[in-house]
Amino acid sequence: MSSRPEVQVEIMTAGLACCTLEVEAAVAGGHLVAITGDSEQAPQVIVIAGTVTDALVPSVLDRIEKYPLAQIMSFGACATSGGPYWDSPPVSKGIDQFADVAVYVAGCPPRPEALVAALVELAGEKIL
Amino acid sequence: MNTPLVMEVIDAEDWQARVKQMDSDGFTFFDFLTVIERESDRRNSATQAPVLEVVVRVTQPDFGKSQALSTHVSVIDPRLASITEIYPGADWHERECAEMFGIEFAGNRAQALLRHENAGAPPLRKSVVLSTRVIVEWPGAAEPEIQDDGRKVGNASRRRQRPPGVPESWLQT
Amino acid sequence: MLCVRECPAWCIHLDSHTEEVSEPGARRPKKVNVLDTFDIDYSLCMYCGICVDVCPFDALEWDQHRALIGTTRESLYLNKEELTSE
Repeated sequence: MSSRPEVQVEIMTAGLACCTLEVEAAVAGGHLVAITGDSEQAPQVIVIAGTVTDALVPSVLDRIEKYPLAQIMSFGACATSGGPYWDSPPVSKGIDQFADVAVYVAGCPPRPEALVAALVELAGEKIL
Repeated sequence: MNTPLVMEVIDAEDWQARVKQMDSDGFTFFDFLTVIERESDRRNSATQAPVLEVVVRVTQPDFGKSQALSTHVSVIDPRLASITEIYPGADWHERECAEMFGIEFAGNRAQALLRHENAGAPPLRKSVVLSTRVIVEWPGAAEPEIQDDGRKVGNASRRRQRPPGVPESWLQT
Repeated sequence: MLCVRECPAWCIHLDSHTEEVSEPGARRPKKVNVLDTFDIDYSLCMYCGICVDVCPFDALEWDQHRALIGTTRESLYLNKEELTSE
């Protein structure tokens, strides 16, 4: 994977459902290498991974507002549109209804490689 | 090693006593309690009124034998005696069934489990319309022989397709 | 249409029409269904694979190698040309 540009980025994961396991899989599988486990640095990317229920929206927005410079990644179908729960009354139909999303990752769940690809995309766009 | 499950259907007023009897008979392990909304009472299908069937399954502690018990309660003001005095593990199940089906389990402390207090009608009842499935146009309704203006060409006389899992009654509302 | 009708997320959309094809020797022209558009909304897709399973012509298949990402939600809505490109 040496052709892949190296990206060093502070991320914060809002792991709300099964998608977050893929974020952990990215770390466990070596796609993401944690440099510091307990950084106090503000995150550059906030990964919204999982189903955002209406009840959870305030908590997610609270995180997002705390780090106004962070880019939002909508990771997986649930965070993007409600996904398999698109017909469910208590599930929000996409985090982009509440916050600006910089990058969307399709999948249910997306693969760990897709998380890395999205981070590289953000870096390539000079957003980071 | 699986033994066939015997399902006993009883009257709602006998619920607590019969469950207690099962516990005394050695079926001390609570497995699950759940609810099914049925078109009619299984024992009396002549009355075509929907009912809520409550099912509980208990086993012997070594999982050797198991027993299932079921009863029917009306969809109008459904209530049933709680069995948490006998099986404390039934608490979670009763609270879930209370929220999802609107059954009141008398004797259960009936705290909200997952849903908000003002979350509206119990969502797993068949009468509760999943409005998104009605409002959103089903892409499967398209037919090659039906043009965009609704005009039929060829022999497109077949009945219009219905979205799977969406009851006819919802589409009429 | 089976894929569209079986999709639990309702994320596949297609448009089609019928055409009459005259074949030499046939008494009447044959009606064939012609596909106009075929879109999958990957912002909704749950990757269950039911569409792949039910297709009687094996017209759909899994792609192991693509990570679909986009900067807008609309960019996850792929049409026939985008779906069939390498």
